Order: sequence, then structure tokens, then C-alpha cells
Amino acid sequence: MQEPAAYERLVYKNASEYHYMKISLIFEKEGKRLEAAFFKQLIISALRDLYGEVGAAFPFDVLKFDEASLTAILRVYSSGLVKLWSALTLLGSYHNESCAVRVTQVSPFLLALSGNSRELVLN
Amino acid sequence: AHLVRISYPGRLRDSTPILKCISPCLQLLPLSRYLLCEIGVSEPASLQLLDERAVYTAVKAAVCRAHGDYGAALSSISFAVKYVNAHTGVVFLRCRKRYYRLIWSALAFITSLDSRGKKIPCFFNCLHVGGTIRTCQKFLIRYNTEQLHRMLPRCRNEAERLEVQKAVRSCSLKCTRREEEEEDEWDEDK
Repeated sequence: MQEPAAYERLVYKNASEYHYMKISLIFEKEGKRLEAAFFKQLIISALRDLYGEVGAAFPFDVLKFDEASLTAILRVYSSGLVKLWSALTLLGSYHNESCAVRVTQVSPFLLALSGNSRELVLN
Repeated sequence: AHLVRISYPGRLRDSTPILKCISPCLQLLPLSRYLLCEIGVSEPASLQLLDERAVYTAVKAAVCRAHGDYGAALSSISFAVKYVNAHTGVVFLRCRKRYYRLIWSALAFITSLDSRGKKIPCFFNCLHVGGTIRTCQKFLIRYNTEQLHRMLPRCRNEAERLEVQKAVRSCSLKCTRREEEEEDEWDEDK
């Protein structure tokens, strides 16, 4: 009689301790350029408005920032993802200029941000 | 704006969930927490200017600074200053059980109270967190008794000693106000 095949199933409840977000900043006025430091300051001020000094102190990193297209990749601890995302949603203005943040992709793995089906080019 | 919880593989643990799934045992009674705090000032005379409105605005402003719009809105759900004692500087704050930590952490950042146009530099010292006013009162009586016991060795003459001993013996829930008055008399003598 054959022994039943043994198998092992691994279930990850928390996939990764970091979450990565790909976002793009859109200004009402076309052609606005921003430096990476100002961009981070903008996000911190959005966090401060919504979550106070305690929220603004939460660590997050701007891994990549493209000045021309104003797109960036952010990294944040998984426990702070909801706070960061909600603060970005409610971000309305930068120095009296209207702006908005579009969140393109969110993933616990950085590799997943390298491509998405929207920008897929089939040859 | 409403914050919506996004679901994705992996469970997030954030300290204040916005949407809570309906559990089988519903606790519909609004639970509250009473924070028993003591206000410390450099000049005891300025304590007399203490009133509920000054404490209310100071705590609200501190929570708004420390926790932002989110914290200010959450903590102000049934937030009230229940009792202020201008003689001893004891304050009872009431808030929701789920969000009392927001207020508790913001108390440390209060540096001054604005009362009747005057700015009083002070600090807040949280002594006890209780579920009802009665438990806070019981703790306050025990705390005051301990304070009086500590004052006893430092009495300068026999009359003061007798007064303190009388105050300690009369400590009970009914005699709270009288015991506080006696403590205040002793403070004035000192």
C-alpha cells in the first residue's frame, strides 16, 4: 500500500514588512518641476495635517523620484500604509497651487512595481 | 472624508481600525474612560484661575497638534472635562474607551493654560485611568491619604500634626470634600 504523499503548505499572513507605492503628482498648472526634497516635505506636511506630529514622524522613504514626470516610488512600513495612503488622498495643495496624487500601484513586493498590465506592450 | 480599509493579501495590524466587522457579541453601550490628572504649576496662586474651559481648550489644542485632524475628531467624541478642583489642581477628563490613548499621549505636550486672558505655565500629570468616576474617586482618596502620610513626618508643630492625623482618619468617599479642604488649609500654613 502506498503511503499518502506528504506536502507542506506555507501561508504568509504578513507578506512583507514594507509596502511599496508608485505614485504620481499632478499639478493643475502644466510644466511644474519639483525637487526630491520638496516632494518629501510635501508628503510630510500632508501627514502632519491629517495625523499631527505623531503621524508626520512616521518613517517612509522616497526610493525613486523622477523630476520630469513627477512620479515616485515610496516605501513605508506595513503598519503605516493606511495612514500614508489616506494622507496622500487628502493632499490638496502645495504652496497655494492645487495638486493631486494619483496612486498607480501598491504592492508588498518591489518587483511587482517594475511592470503593470496597463503599460504592457505586446510585440 | 471617510477612510476606507483596502483589503489585500496579508492582514495589517494598525492600532485604530476605522471599519470594524460586526462581531457576534455586540457591546453597544458607549464605554468611556476617565483620566484623573493633576496640574502642576510653579506658583500655587495661579491655580485659582483654573476653570473647565481653559483645560478643555488646552487639551483639544494639544491633541490637534499631536495627532492632527484625525486625532482631534476622534478624541472629541464625548470628550468632556468633568471636574476641576482649583485648590488641588485635580482634573477629571472623560473620553471614549477606544481613543483615550490619543488624549493621554497629548497631555504630555501641554505647556500652558490660557485662562481669562492670562497664560499659566503648567504641566499635566496623569495619575489614574478608570472606567467610572467612582473608581477614580476611590483612587484619589487613596492617593491623598498617601500624600498626607508623607506630609506627616514633615509637620513643624503639634497642631499641624493633629490636623493631618484627623484628615487621614476621616478619609472616605463621603468626606472627600472636607478632606481636601483640610489638606488645603495645611498647604496654606506651609
